[in-house]
Amino acid sequence: MGIFGCGFFSSIFSSLFGTREMRILILGLDGAGKTTILYRLQVGEVVTTIPTIGFNVETVTYKNLKFQVWDLGGQTSIRPYWRCYYSNTDAVIYVVDSCDRDRIGISKSELLAMLEEEELRKSILVVFANKQDMEQAMTPSEMANSLGLPALKDRKWQIFKTSATKGTGLDEAMEWLVETLKSRQ
Amino acid sequence: MFAKLKKKIAEETAVSQRPGGATRLPRTVSKESVASMGADSGDDFASDGSSSREDLSSQLLRRNEQIRKLEARLSDYAEQVRNHQKIKEKLEIALEKHQDFSMRKFQEQNETFQANRAKMAEGLTLALARKDQEWSEKVDQLEKEKRFLTAQLQEMQNQSLNLFQKRDEMDELKGFQQQELSKVKHLLLKKEESLGKMEQELEAQTRELSHTQEELMISNQMSSDLRQKLEELQRRCSALEEQRDHVTASKTGAENKITALEHKERELQAFIQQLSTDLQRVTAEAQEKDKLITHLQEKVKSLEKQLEQNLSGEERAQELLKEKTAAEHTLESTRQQLLAARSMQAPAVGILETQVKELEQAVQASEEELKQSRGIIASQEAQIQALLSPVFLQSSANEEIRCAQQQALTVQQQCTERVYTLEAQIAALEGARGAAETATEHKTRALQQENRALSQSRDECERSLQHHQLELQKLKEEWSQREIVSVAMAQALEEVRKGREELQQQAANLTALNEVQEQRLQEKTEVILQKEQEIVQLKQGHDSALLQMRQLQSELEALRNLRAEEPVEEQGLALAVSESHVTLKARKDRKYQFSAAEGTPNGKVGTMDLGQLQKEKQGLEQQLTEKNKIIKQMQQRMLELKKTLQKELKIRPDNELFEVREKPGPEMASLAPSVTSTADLTDAREINFEYLKHVVLKFMSCRESEAFHLIKAVSVLLNFSPEEENMLKETLEYKMSWFGSKPAPKGSIRPSISNPRIPWS
Repeated sequence: MGIFGCGFFSSIFSSLFGTREMRILILGLDGAGKTTILYRLQVGEVVTTIPTIGFNVETVTYKNLKFQVWDLGGQTSIRPYWRCYYSNTDAVIYVVDSCDRDRIGISKSELLAMLEEEELRKSILVVFANKQDMEQAMTPSEMANSLGLPALKDRKWQIFKTSATKGTGLDEAMEWLVETLKSRQ
Repeated sequence: MFAKLKKKIAEETAVSQRPGGATRLPRTVSKESVASMGADSGDDFASDGSSSREDLSSQLLRRNEQIRKLEARLSDYAEQVRNHQKIKEKLEIALEKHQDFSMRKFQEQNETFQANRAKMAEGLTLALARKDQEWSEKVDQLEKEKRFLTAQLQEMQNQSLNLFQKRDEMDELKGFQQQELSKVKHLLLKKEESLGKMEQELEAQTRELSHTQEELMISNQMSSDLRQKLEELQRRCSALEEQRDHVTASKTGAENKITALEHKERELQAFIQQLSTDLQRVTAEAQEKDKLITHLQEKVKSLEKQLEQNLSGEERAQELLKEKTAAEHTLESTRQQLLAARSMQAPAVGILETQVKELEQAVQASEEELKQSRGIIASQEAQIQALLSPVFLQSSANEEIRCAQQQALTVQQQCTERVYTLEAQIAALEGARGAAETATEHKTRALQQENRALSQSRDECERSLQHHQLELQKLKEEWSQREIVSVAMAQALEEVRKGREELQQQAANLTALNEVQEQRLQEKTEVILQKEQEIVQLKQGHDSALLQMRQLQSELEALRNLRAEEPVEEQGLALAVSESHVTLKARKDRKYQFSAAEGTPNGKVGTMDLGQLQKEKQGLEQQLTEKNKIIKQMQQRMLELKKTLQKELKIRPDNELFEVREKPGPEMASLAPSVTSTADLTDAREINFEYLKHVVLKFMSCRESEAFHLIKAVSVLLNFSPEEENMLKETLEYKMSWFGSKPAPKGSIRPSISNPRIPWS
């Protein structure tokens, strides 16, 4: 009853003052499909995108949870600015191009550098093995191994195979994220 | 059943009838006989067609007879049919009897068969149940063995999984290598581009050089033209100088002439003075002579008086007197003329003294004339002296004197005229000379000016030539430097290419190693397959054992039957059974031993392979570290090359300054991931500006909750100080909160009031 009451009051409180939105960062190398995923999550449509010099921020509601989703540009020159957005981040969606085998090493090192940040110590990691609709796409296990995910400690992580253009795999991933965030609360 | 039976019966009858074709044959024969009979009758009828009624009646009779015969035959046939039916009935009865009998026999046989089968089945099931129990135990044992084998198989699979993981790692390594290769390729491409640019610049410079060379050629041509002009001018100058020399020579000649003429003039003057002195002397003499003449006249008068007195030779005296008077008149006139001439000569001589200087020839001529005149005068004096002595001679002498005086006058006049003309000529010559001198001076001045101008232009040309030559030398030096640089670049490129080739070779080696490992993997998988085959063989052995079991079961059954028949031999059979069990167990043991013996070497092989794989892995790791070192060395080389390139290209210091300024803060620089290559800094500048623009725009336009997260980004991008950042945060918090006071602005945002630090450095 106590838990229920707490949830009830919090819901009333949130309805009055607005909940603390869950803050999610979408990160990944340039051309991985971050912006496409963001707008797929928000409006459920595939939009035509240009390379993001800067960022996109949108409020996405999923299962009565509000997310403030930040899609940060992944170009090499503006990657150093990711760390300006790390504070108070609940989850990081790390998008990787499954067909870009050449740059998976860069992706891995960026991911590891990101995960070493103190501000992201408590945030959840969701890896999207994107562009699964393409041929020669890496399998999620292959990608997890090449990103060194099994070696991660003290980190809640999960990898999902997604296709932002086809819309597959996003729901499962968001489902898992919502469940994990709720259980963490 | 009955239907079947009927069918069978029908078949049988059909079969019986077919052999009964022989019985039918007579029937057909009878038919043929009938037909033949009919045919015979027809023949009769045809033959009797044209007969009469008697014939008809006879025919009728014949027909009736035939009918009777036919009827008799019909009755016969009916009897035969009846007989056949009887035979048929008899046969049917016999058949039914036979069928019943056979059915009975069949049922009996069936019953006996079923009974036998049931008995057999019961016996078999019992025996099987027992044997199943025994064999199930054996099967359990076999299953245990199978589990053991499956465990081994799992171990093998684990090994294979490990191998797969290693292969994945190898793939990763390959990916890294490919990345590095692509990086190196990228850098190489950039280098090649820069080389291309350099070459283009070189070409442009060579073009400029050719252009300058052309210009130089043109200037050379111009200079040569100018030289030619100069030469021409020099020639002209020399010609003019020659002219001048000529003129000066002529001038000196003229001066010499003038001096000579002056000398002559002086001589003339001296001569004239002598003449004047002579004249004075002559006049004095003339006066003396006049006195003498007067004395003589007085003497003459006295003489006349004496003559008058003497009257002899009056006429001659009168004539002599007349002549004397005439001579006196001429004398007086000549005296007057002389006086006039003297008066005239004095200014003329003065003028001559001042003016006549150069006319030698004339003067010489005049001297000669003077000499002549002197001679004449001398002769006249002599004549006068002669006249003095004789009076008659006097008059002629006077006349001669007069003539001489006239001649002298004319000579003097001529002299004066000549002197005038000479003077005029001299003046004209002097004027001409002055004019010529001035003209020559002007010309010389002009020529000197031209000369100066030309020399100046020549100097200018020479200077420009020197300048061009210097430029050419500079360009050549630059060219040589560029060539050196390009050679260095080419060498560096070659080195890079070599490095790349080495890398490719290494990659090839790695792929070869990979292939070897893959082959080993394949070998492993083959080993696994062999093991699986062995397992299959074992299973087959198991199956064969089962078959043997079944055989034994059948033997057991046989033995049981025997036991049932002969209970006395039971014990012996039991012994046989136990023996068979013993043999079976022995076989199983053997199998077990066999499988165990098989299992251990496989395990050893696996460990051996693992060791080898680990060694290979270590070798590969070493190779990777070496390659990483090589790659670092290559990167260092590339950086050095870039530096040299930048030096070569002389990048504007502005850019460097800008880069320095645009660099994110020191913490950013230290925390920036090593992956982000510093090569794209030039592009990064523009992108950073765009990024800053975008972030600031969003910061200004988005909600406060979002803007709060952007403070850090904005402060990092604009290089805010911590207090400025805090101030921004406080103001945003104030805007977001419902309560609270507005934070006081600090000095840092009011640079006009106090300026502790300059944010826009």
